[in-house]
Amino acid sequence: MTATRDERPETATLDPERFRELADSIETELGKMMVGQREVIRFTLTALIAGGHVLIEGVPGLGKTVLVRSLARALHLDFARVQFTPDLMPADITGTQIISEDDSGRRRFQFQAGPLFTNLLLADEINRATPKTQSALLEAMQERQVTAGDKTRPLPHPFFVMATQNPIELEGTYPLPEAQLDRFFFKLIVPFPDADELAEIARRTTGTDEPDLHPVAGGDDLEAMSRLAREVPIAEHVMDHAVALVLATHPDRDGAPDEVRRYVRWGASPRALQTLVLSGRIRALLAGRFNVAFEDLNAVALPALRHRIFLNFEADAEGVGSDVIVNAVLAKHVGA
Amino acid sequence: MNNTQRLLAASRARIIGGRALTWSARGMACAAAAALAVEMVVRVYPVDPVAPLLGACLLFGLVVAIAGWARAWPASFQVARIADAALGSRERLSTALEFATANGSLIVMQRADAERWAASADPSGVRDLKVPRVALAIALLAAAGAIALAVLPNPAFQNLRGQRAAIAAQQAAAQQVEVIAKQAQATKNADPAKIAALSQDLHQLGQDVRNAPDPATAVADISKAQQTLGALRDPSLASRQQASAAAGAQLQQNPAASKAGAALAAQDPKTGAAELRKLAGSLSSLSPSEQAQLAQSLKASAAAAKDDPALAAKLQAAADALAQGDTTAAQAALTSAANQADQLAQDTSTDAAIAQTINGLQAVKAGPLAQAQGAGQNQAQGQGQGQGQGQGQGQGQGQGQGQGQGQGQGQGQGGGGGGTGGQGAGGGSAAAGKTPGKPGETIYVPSQGSPGSALVGPGQGSSQGTDTQLVPYESVYGQFRSQALSDVDRQVIPEQERALVRAYFGDTTP
Repeated sequence: MTATRDERPETATLDPERFRELADSIETELGKMMVGQREVIRFTLTALIAGGHVLIEGVPGLGKTVLVRSLARALHLDFARVQFTPDLMPADITGTQIISEDDSGRRRFQFQAGPLFTNLLLADEINRATPKTQSALLEAMQERQVTAGDKTRPLPHPFFVMATQNPIELEGTYPLPEAQLDRFFFKLIVPFPDADELAEIARRTTGTDEPDLHPVAGGDDLEAMSRLAREVPIAEHVMDHAVALVLATHPDRDGAPDEVRRYVRWGASPRALQTLVLSGRIRALLAGRFNVAFEDLNAVALPALRHRIFLNFEADAEGVGSDVIVNAVLAKHVGA
Repeated sequence: MNNTQRLLAASRARIIGGRALTWSARGMACAAAAALAVEMVVRVYPVDPVAPLLGACLLFGLVVAIAGWARAWPASFQVARIADAALGSRERLSTALEFATANGSLIVMQRADAERWAASADPSGVRDLKVPRVALAIALLAAAGAIALAVLPNPAFQNLRGQRAAIAAQQAAAQQVEVIAKQAQATKNADPAKIAALSQDLHQLGQDVRNAPDPATAVADISKAQQTLGALRDPSLASRQQASAAAGAQLQQNPAASKAGAALAAQDPKTGAAELRKLAGSLSSLSPSEQAQLAQSLKASAAAAKDDPALAAKLQAAADALAQGDTTAAQAALTSAANQADQLAQDTSTDAAIAQTINGLQAVKAGPLAQAQGAGQNQAQGQGQGQGQGQGQGQGQGQGQGQGQGQGQGQGQGGGGGGTGGQGAGGGSAAAGKTPGKPGETIYVPSQGSPGSALVGPGQGSSQGTDTQLVPYESVYGQFRSQALSDVDRQVIPEQERALVRAYFGDTTP
């Protein structure tokens, strides 16, 4: 079921129609467990296809764990969940060397893999772990490998981390550093369900019938989908628009709106541009098109940019969030 | 041509049309703004005619419109991008155009997708026309301003045209002076020295008038020349003519000297001189009684000719010699009297030529005078009231050719550029007027000559005439009045001057 990067077989070429079928199937399966949250599901699937990780922010009980668990079942991938706490050590997630005895009674060190060695990892309340442990996870996210002792071990493919943050109860937390936030493909905000959705949640979870999820895709399918998405052509002026959006988040650039000049300390990184373009390509395919449009870029701008814009003290004092900044950038550049 | 190309071609046509409208509005704005600028500038620096400049403004606007339109000609990618935005194709067209020659399965699919989409697209939705409100507003405002400035009177234009008219009037006046000089030179039986002086003065006057800085100066030059020419006239000529006529009347009564007397009495001194020479030649053939009678007649004529002492002396000498029976001395005296008559004839011709020249100059003065009046009215509204006192001297010839000379003295008051001057009327008439000349300027006007009559005006001037027949004032008043008013109404004369003429005849009603 799982495979390391080196062991990955060549995947068959996927056509756009099959791409949409797979995506629809996955979303349908997820929809059996998740009530509402269609945008979160779509962005999560987009990040999964792009090979990126997602940072989800939401209060407890909104179905973050259910989402990842359902995703693993729909894709029949391995799933692991780690509850991050202040006493969690890096070895607790990466794994450690233990002494084992073979049949001949000979003792030797053997690597005991940690929960990182999975396909889908839910890093719950990542901001409660110490920076040391956060760094171990983020290094694995970036390098897709783990170094323990004197040996570097590759992580399974695909490797998808969904980290969560609780926006409340921030006492005793360790906010993620900017450089590490940048490594998340998207930052998603899980909205609280409305009344109808809440009622539907109650109906689904308090009855006797439990939804039955079926695996509809595998890691190879995700790899093929990712490869196909990277072939979607993007016109030069559309690419220029993506560049303009990223540059507009920098207060020292000409295209920056007033909000950026006033509240932003540092703008989005080149990873933001990569995220915009790649997620735009995926969105175009999901929409049944074969080219990236302005609206694709604009649609993914919020989850791609909001965690890559670092605000100054004035913004904190006035309660201005990064979403306000991204919306200001969009307002100035939409339809360019 | 596939669907995408057709759609782009149709889109291009619509974009070009829209930009043509935009640049037309901008061109109109440029033309109107330029026209407004021209209208404003010509109010300070007049250019007449201004129509070519306004035409250049239109040309400028046309060039701006065409050049801008040509420069805004859309490239293919621009057309595709505009069509994408206008038709909501989500960048299908521009992407297909950009990757038109690229390979790849998805790229081929993208081109096919764009082709399918273009097949159902309606190019009428492609509009690159943003209503050029600013350009249209500028065009309207500037055009309205330019039209308003064009319609409103332009003082600079009036000044410029006035200057041109003044120069033209001066040139015409100078040419008229040259004509008058030639006419004076052609005068027969005149004093060559005086005619030469007259010609020289007129030549100089022509140059002065042509080079005068303004019409008022030209008028002043002409007036000054009139004064100078007036000095060439013989002030005693009238009395000499009267003396000659009186002497002729006496001689006319003697049968032997009747022809000579009749000629002299008829103000024909030249014929009179010839008859006197004939009489001198026939003295010896006269009987003593006839000689005695002739001596008496000569004595009486000498007495009658007392205003011409030279002629009277010659006639007296002839009478004395003839009374003593000295026909030789009488012949010599009569010959001298004939020479005196010849001199009178020459002086009369010379004086007539001078008077005619002065009157001609008065007519010449009309053009520059009208220009000077126009300039004066433009520069100062309301001139001082003038009071004129004229002193006139009129002369008439029995042959029906009237010559007059008026001298006026005026005193002007007023805040304008020109004061008011007196106006003298020929024949001794003087009228107060509001002639915008320089204070104290002497102005000559032609007299109204009529056979055997001289106009006697109510002015303070005294008139002296030698007309043999005088007519009552009442008998000619009506004719003069109707003639004057008719002439005034037919000619381009300022209303002030018309009123002056009417007031004159109103005040002088017998």
